[in-house]
Amino acid sequence: MVHSDAMAADQSADQSVDTDFERPPEDSYRLLVDSVVDYAIFMLDATGRVVSWNPGAERIKGYSAEEVLGRHFSVFYPADDLAARKPWHELEVAAEVGRFEDEGWRLRKDGTRFWANVIITALFEKSGSLRGFAKVTRDMTERRRAEEALKSSEERFRLLVQGVLDYAIFMLDPAGRVVSWNAGAERIKGYSAEDMLGEHFSVFYPPEDLVARKPWRELEVAVDVGRFEDEGWRLRKDGSRFWANVVITALFDESGRLRGFAKVTRDMTDRRRVELTLSEQRRLVGHLVEAQELERRRIAWDVHDDSIQSMVAVGMRLQLLANRLPDEDAATVRRLDEAVRASIGRLRNLVFRLRPPELDRHSLVQALDHYLTDVTGPLGITYRLRHSLDHEPPVESAITIFRICQEALTNVRKHAQASELEVSLSSVDGGTLVEITDDGVGVGTPSGGRAFEHFGMIEMRERAETAGGWWSLEGGARGGTAVRFWVPTPNGGGP
Amino acid sequence: MTTPKLSVVISDDDPMVRDALRDVLDAEPDLEVVAVARDADEAIELAERHAPAVVVLDIRMPGGGGGRAAREIRLRSPNTGILALSAFSDREAFGEIQAAGVTEHIVKGASNSDIIAAVRRLGRPGSG
Repeated sequence: MVHSDAMAADQSADQSVDTDFERPPEDSYRLLVDSVVDYAIFMLDATGRVVSWNPGAERIKGYSAEEVLGRHFSVFYPADDLAARKPWHELEVAAEVGRFEDEGWRLRKDGTRFWANVIITALFEKSGSLRGFAKVTRDMTERRRAEEALKSSEERFRLLVQGVLDYAIFMLDPAGRVVSWNAGAERIKGYSAEDMLGEHFSVFYPPEDLVARKPWRELEVAVDVGRFEDEGWRLRKDGSRFWANVVITALFDESGRLRGFAKVTRDMTDRRRVELTLSEQRRLVGHLVEAQELERRRIAWDVHDDSIQSMVAVGMRLQLLANRLPDEDAATVRRLDEAVRASIGRLRNLVFRLRPPELDRHSLVQALDHYLTDVTGPLGITYRLRHSLDHEPPVESAITIFRICQEALTNVRKHAQASELEVSLSSVDGGTLVEITDDGVGVGTPSGGRAFEHFGMIEMRERAETAGGWWSLEGGARGGTAVRFWVPTPNGGGP
Repeated sequence: MTTPKLSVVISDDDPMVRDALRDVLDAEPDLEVVAVARDADEAIELAERHAPAVVVLDIRMPGGGGGRAAREIRLRSPNTGILALSAFSDREAFGEIQAAGVTEHIVKGASNSDIIAAVRRLGRPGSG
């Protein structure tokens, strides 16, 4: 055998400690044993009687040395172990194979039990005859309790997961095969645990997803970023589809090795249906508002381009005619002309109300401001328009708000006999709150009371409610009328 | 001594209004309607051809509306006065017509005498 010099030097360095080592005196072993309090270390003679006792033994078992020396170690064993002759059996095993290890209940002096880890080592004379036994006992009660607690908490957790019905909660191995299955999974997907254990989770995916390799991509994403969330169609055992919310979480052990995946799936079919119904409803309301505006525009143009023009021409001809007639006839014709002109004025007001709001070119507040100027100017009403809007409402909401304001202002113009008007708009609860107050005669008066039943009131309320909002009319703080309404902003802005 | 008649071009897309307006203006001894247009293009063409003292222009007509017609007429017949007629006080349309340099504006349904007075003001500036 050939050693290199370096190796020889290393070895001598390793062993150099030995040459300086001074053996401790004999009684140092006793000192060592006597200072240990965490282990009961004591000796038995060949028949099992206690012949030495350390402080650890006293602390763990409760006996002092005087009390226990000379007694058989079977006093530490519970009655059922004695009946089974366990202490004697343990010594036999130790004597036969040199060593015996056990965990089990032992008794303290006061009769209470503790969970002990016990090692019995047989001690032999140089001649080979049995001299006795060394016994090392450790109190494992705390550790056992902690283990029991962990086990029972794991058990409770397992039962919890097993029992959950609203979520499919199951585990996949790293390859994507199902390794656990709960009641919710059975309920939602229709497969029993027997059906699924060991199967690949891709059976839940519809064919179009399989073609796109979606199940495998989802696992890859979960491995990369720790988590994957998705909503989409999944298949039940009977082939029917459900709309699922799926969260896949990658599970790594302490060394960072992928151990598998936790998958939580929720059946969102009903919620999706409700959401679709709601969005369909909103779409229909949008269409309704649009159709109504289109119809109003058509009527406005018809009245403007046809009725008013004809009446204007008729008025001109009546005036011409009046100038050519004798006075008595002329007066009649002039009265006719006046009637025609009054009608033109009323038709013009109608066109003005039917006209599309200027929302394609202006913000809601600007359009309202223009409208208020036009309406209040000739009536000698002063108005204040205040707003604190976070955002411009989408056009359907803006039209609804504008039209309700318009109707409310028509009522003010017709019934209120007001001199001041206040309009305020604010963003509230994911929508727009509008308040229109005047200092007129209020809702309590006969004309106001009738106005409440007027078509305009119903129209305002219906417009607000169709858009998913509310509308109210009450006496204002200053004695007049307060119209308040709220229109939600569809999609976003609100919860 | 007779003053020459004020020549007027009328432009309105509504035939009843067009004809009534023509009769109203022709009934005045000092006014003469020389041409009648049905849309903006005709109004521009006739104004350029006749160089009238006054054009009465409906501010909302097919073919680009009154604003474009007013600008073109001012360009091609700078001495022609323009009277805008509208069916109601349309802020946007009137803003456009003012930007094109039109100062006289009458809402349809005004009395014949108001219209005649406005035509005279435009046709004989300074004469009242």
